[in-house]
Formats: sequence, structure tokens, C-alpha cells
Amino acid sequence: MPASRWLRPGATRSLFQVWPLLIALGLLTLVRLSKGAFLLDAYAQLSRPFWPGTAQAEWLRSARRSEDQVRLAQLETENQRLRGLLQLQTLSPTRLSAPVISRVPAGWWQHLLLGKGSLDGVKVGQAVLAPGGLIGLVSSVTPMTATVTLLTDPSSRVGVWVLRNRHQALLSGLGTSRPVVRFLEKDPQVQPGDVVFTSPASTLVPANLPVGVLQSVDERADPAPEAVVQLIAPVDAVDWVQVLVPR
Amino acid sequence: MNLATRQPWLMLSMLVVPLLTLASPAWLRIAGISPAWAPLWLLPWALVDGQLSGSVAGFCLGLLLDSLHPGPVSTIPALLLLGWWWGRLGYQGPPIERSFNLALLAMIGTLGLNLSLMAQWAWRSWLGLRGLQGASAARLALPGWHGSDLALAGVQVLLSQLLLAALLAPVFCSLLLLLFRRLQTASGRG
Repeated sequence: MPASRWLRPGATRSLFQVWPLLIALGLLTLVRLSKGAFLLDAYAQLSRPFWPGTAQAEWLRSARRSEDQVRLAQLETENQRLRGLLQLQTLSPTRLSAPVISRVPAGWWQHLLLGKGSLDGVKVGQAVLAPGGLIGLVSSVTPMTATVTLLTDPSSRVGVWVLRNRHQALLSGLGTSRPVVRFLEKDPQVQPGDVVFTSPASTLVPANLPVGVLQSVDERADPAPEAVVQLIAPVDAVDWVQVLVPR
Repeated sequence: MNLATRQPWLMLSMLVVPLLTLASPAWLRIAGISPAWAPLWLLPWALVDGQLSGSVAGFCLGLLLDSLHPGPVSTIPALLLLGWWWGRLGYQGPPIERSFNLALLAMIGTLGLNLSLMAQWAWRSWLGLRGLQGASAARLALPGWHGSDLALAGVQVLLSQLLLAALLAPVFCSLLLLLFRRLQTASGRG
């Protein structure tokens, strides 16, 4: 039936027939306004039998112990110098393990969907770690799921620093698998192989979480030098992550 | 508009699009990039049910997909226009059934969807950068896709999704087209 005929005044029978569509449209608008809460929770329930097993959770705990040992040494030295600044975070956050139930590592939006949400204490803005370090921040939550915007997403901006010389920088996603670090100084004196941590100056994430390793440095970039970063955490392979939940 | 009015529950089948977007398996990706499922569902629906139904379905599908993304850009304009255009094609000339034609239309739809997103990102980037004078730290902190990102990673997303659309459309769209046509005929008889 052509649209002009369908829209003709007096076609009350067609209008009567279309009321389920209008209700569906209203419901879909509600879904849109709730940021897909119903849809994401339904997906979480449907895909529950296929969620990753606990084997990788053990591996995650083992990797966390190794990571803690590496971090301990540098944290001890840093704590002395930054004690005054870190008064804002006197209690260290707890780590909540969560399964990855959907993964979109590339494309216009790069995110993970976790099988834990606001009912488990997850909130927007919390940092998410995989074995090796930070992978992203929680960008939205539903009662049973949480969406994590990855560091590689172009909308991601996180303050970082190179621990070796304490030069501050901004980690920016480019849409590729390797984000870029843009330094705030003209001469950051960094070199490939330097490790990048989250900055104590950042208010978005806890300080000194490992992020990545500098792969190449472009000192002639405008307006400031920049470097390509290889993330330490394997976003493509990880099945379990940890959300840093404040105590 | 037979399907949408006589069998409105069939529109629930569009829920498969966001679910496939979320569950898209790794073996269906190219360089980590998943197919654009929305044009693959919308094409057979609009071809069978006309331009008004296609536009409504495109709008509904856009609402669903936008709810999954935290980003500021929307898929609604492109899907709405595609639904209208494909619905018009379905009512003009001989029925479109051949795999080659379906693949070509799906590719054009995927191209339109991606170009609309790129245009929206470029527009937002231009608006954001216009407000910042000179080279400042604020320019670096401006989030979102910008010119160089769109030219590199953006084009890669576009090409990957075009290739995937060409591969999937002959199977996915043909089966859906067959299903929708049979249901339309059945509902017409009823």
C-alpha cells in the first residue's frame, strides 16, 4: 500500500491498525532514554550460559599478585613524595571481578560489556583493570551490566605520566589498537620502552596504575611531542576484568 | 505496510540486530570490526513492506542501536532515510531478489550509515575545535573522532564493514526477504 494512500485523511481503519506500532515506538523511546537498560539486561540473561568460566579468574588473581609485586616497589618510593597529595585517597579501592559478556574492540564505539552492574556496586567513572593494567573506565551502568569505554576509543582521555622522569601527559584513544600519549612539556625526554602509569594528578582514575609501554616517540609533533603506546592489558583476549570500587 | 499493521509482532525481529551487535563472534570480524547488522535487517524489511514501514523500522532500529552507545552521534538519520529509500525501491519496478542486487544495496546502505556517522563526528569536531583558539592543552583534551582519526581508523571501519556487508547480505538478506515475503503473502490471504 503506497504511503500517500495510507496517510489520506479518513483512513481511520489504518490508523486503528497501527496503534500497536505507536505503542512499540513509545516503548523503544523508553529503551533509548534508559540507555538500553532493558536490552542490555535481557542480553545478560540470555547469554548467561555462555559467560566465561572461572579458570581465567584464577589466572587473573595470579597475574594480579605479580603485578602487585612490581607496583609495590615504585609505590613505596612514590608514597613518600606524594603522601601529601594522596590524602584524598586514604583508603585503597576494592577490586570487583566481572566477566566480559560482550566485546567490541574496534569500530565507531570501542567498549566492553560486563556482567555486573549497579546491583553489585559498579558506578560510572570507575576504573577497570585487566591483567597488566588499566583498560578503560565505566561509562554507563544498568542493574546487571556495565559498559566500559576502552582506552583505545577516541572519546577516552586519561591523565598519565612516565614514572622514570615524572613527565605528565594525556593518553588519547585514536580508534586504533594503540592509543597515543601527548606530553604537556616541549621536551619530555622519553624513549621507547618507558612505562606509562596513571597520573597522580588525574581525578578520574587512581594513581599509578600501569597502562602501557611507549613504542615510538615523535618529538616533532605539533603542538607537543607525542608517543604511540602499546597497552599492557590484552583487551582482545581477556574474559574477566576487575572494577575498582571505592570502599 | 501489511507486515507492520497485520503482524506487528514481526517488528520484534529487529531485536536480533542489537543482540547480534553485542554478541558478534570474533570469527565474523575483520581487524576486530563487527558487521553493521542494521542495514542487513532493514533492507529486506523495507523492500517487502514499503517506504513508510521502512522509515518507521529504521527509526526504531536507530533508537535501539543508539541506546547501546554512549557516544553523542546517532544512527537514526541514516537508517530512517535508508528505510524510506529501500521501501520505495521495493514498490517500483520488478521485485529485487538476486543476491548481487541485495549485496549491492546492503553495501550502499552500510556506506551511507558509516558516512553519516563520519559526518556527524567531523561536524562535532569542527564545532569543538572552532571554540578553541590556537594550540592549547584544551585541544588535546577534546574527546571524540577528529580529522586524522577519521581518515585512518574511520576509513578502516568503513572498508571492513563494506566487505562484511557484501559477504553477509546474500545469505542474511535473502533468507529474511524470503521469510518476510511468505509472511506477507500469508497475512494477505488471511
